[in-house]
Amino acid sequence: MPEGRMSEAALELRGLEKRFGAQTAVAAIDLQVQQGEFVTLLGPSGCGKTTTLNMIAGFITPDAGSIRLGGRAVENLPPHRRDLGIVFQDYALFPHRNAAENVAFGLRMRKLAKTEIAARVADALRMVRLDGLDKRRPLQLSGGQRQRVALARALVIRPALLLLDEPLSNLDLKLREEMRSEISTLQRRLGIATVFVTHDQDEALTMSDRIAVMRQGRIEQIGTARDIYERPASVFVATFIGSTNLVRAKPAGPPSEGLVPLATAAGPAILRLDRPLAAGADLLLAIRPERLQLTPTGTAPDGSTAWPVRIEGVTYLGGRLEIALRLADGSPATAHAMNLGAMAWQPGHVADAWFRPDDAWPILDGGASDGAAP
Amino acid sequence: MRRPVSYLALLAAVALIYLFMLGPILITAVVSFNRSDRSYFPPRGLSLHWWGAAFTPQWTGAFVFSLELAALSAIATTIAGLPLALAFRSYEFPGKAAIQAMTLGPLVLPSLVTGIALLQFLTLAGLGSWIGLPALLIGHVVICLPFSVRTIAISLASIPVSAELAAASLGASPGAVLREITLPLARSGVGAGMIFAFISSFDDVNLALFVSSPRQTPITVQIMQFLEFGFSPTLAALSILSMLVPLALVALCGRVVGIGGYLQQEQGHA
Ligand SMILES: Nc1ncnc2c1ncn2[C@@H]1O[C@H](COP(=O)(O)OP(=O)(O)O)[C@@H](O)[C@H]1O
Ligand SMILES: [Mg+2]
Repeated sequence: MPEGRMSEAALELRGLEKRFGAQTAVAAIDLQVQQGEFVTLLGPSGCGKTTTLNMIAGFITPDAGSIRLGGRAVENLPPHRRDLGIVFQDYALFPHRNAAENVAFGLRMRKLAKTEIAARVADALRMVRLDGLDKRRPLQLSGGQRQRVALARALVIRPALLLLDEPLSNLDLKLREEMRSEISTLQRRLGIATVFVTHDQDEALTMSDRIAVMRQGRIEQIGTARDIYERPASVFVATFIGSTNLVRAKPAGPPSEGLVPLATAAGPAILRLDRPLAAGADLLLAIRPERLQLTPTGTAPDGSTAWPVRIEGVTYLGGRLEIALRLADGSPATAHAMNLGAMAWQPGHVADAWFRPDDAWPILDGGASDGAAP
Repeated sequence: MRRPVSYLALLAAVALIYLFMLGPILITAVVSFNRSDRSYFPPRGLSLHWWGAAFTPQWTGAFVFSLELAALSAIATTIAGLPLALAFRSYEFPGKAAIQAMTLGPLVLPSLVTGIALLQFLTLAGLGSWIGLPALLIGHVVICLPFSVRTIAISLASIPVSAELAAASLGASPGAVLREITLPLARSGVGAGMIFAFISSFDDVNLALFVSSPRQTPITVQIMQFLEFGFSPTLAALSILSMLVPLALVALCGRVVGIGGYLQQEQGHA
């Protein structure tokens, strides 16, 4: 690839759209993936992840929008001229060819010399730790091994972009975690721009540079794992990733020194925000259970928000306790506490639940964030 | 252990079915070794005389013609059936339903009717000179095409679409995908369709009765015509021969093309 293109985004989608009959599978997607970046499309089944990937790959034609690979418009290029490495959910290995032949396929199509093909195939198989299994047919390989062949086959052609569609969902838990870190390591080492599709939030959180959370054909929010988890742009994002407490709230006065007072259903609250909230806005305050801490009434630290709560139940989870609470307005909430042995919260106790100004995040009721999101 | 009555009944039914299926064939085979010129069973004395009579030009000519016709039919049917099956699978095009119906239609039509129709058509179209090999070939392709398209379609349907997409993403042009992935993976269906066409053509008498010419007559029609003068042990020998050819072919191609064997081998190692 010419030097000049290296500065271009590896992938740029603008206004990408696809309808199937009356149903809109993908609605106006914008996305940029930088060179070397690992971006995950995360969303529930049917939200349009595969359709998006298929349009990038050229397997289906978009109804609208543009696709650029390394700065080059590819909407009119057939799949075999897009130079992409793709790993499919079912691996899509060629059943009539052995592991080495599967890996060699893309190189053969590129008409490379036999000796170079052999060398690169051997390298690729070693890279995914499959050396010695090169003569095995796909059906003679385990799920994890097939996965590795698929990965080697996609990477050996040194594609400009790697696309992975739920590559781990057919593996059992232990193997899944192993492959997760293996793919991450490989991706970093090769520095290859990657679009990874999953409906598994753990995969998304642990592997990605950035996550695009999708819902009904749209990208609901895009950002780092931390952005997505700690500053969710919508109720959907807040509840799809991890669990969260949502409390109705309204701004209760002008901000001072970056601190914004709120009136909530559970009591007054103070947030640290870098932007003001629209006066009178209907908000949902999102607080992760692990950020909500319990303390005897009146003992919360200065400058924090403390709400009176009643303890409804305690679930023992080993390393931590899940404590069911009832807020002042009678609505339920959940707090997680480290299991430090001495904790003696019992159902029926009254306590204060408190959090710091940085530990909660306002979401505009009805979807979008308050505008304080990046 | 006491076996239930229903089990014994099933056993009896199966035995009867085999008896009725294989019995006549065995009897025919034995009859062909008669010394007498009548078809006695059990035979009165043994002789290879009638087998010798079967290997005279009158019969071998028709036999070879049948083989040639069957081979041509199998090839032509596959050449027509493969693109049809591929198109039916991959494309939506105007008139697809109609073409599908036309392709699969002869399946429900007695080949006798197809034969009469073909004869009338050729006569009306002034193509009477086609009667003989060309007409037989056309007729057999029409009869065999539904089976060929079906079996190829079934094996195409078993190919994971993602394998073809993967090949394309790895740089394979549509032609290369067909050559490298689709056809190799569909070969058992193509092979089965081909063998089926060969056997259907070789066995056919209904259609061939109408469009054979005196010089181009398949063995089946020849036997039919000879039967008008009565049965001779030669016919028994010929029948056995005509039966062995398709059987041998199935056995042979089963190995070469690997119908089913391909899959068994894969699973055997899994
Ligand atoms: N070929 C198709 N024809 C009709 N509808 C489709 C087709 N492919 C996908 N869809 C629909 O588009 C939506 C998005 O599908 P998909 O991209 O596969 O979702 P995901 O991969 O996120 O689970 C789904 O509602 C699905 O039913
Ligand atoms: Mg999908």
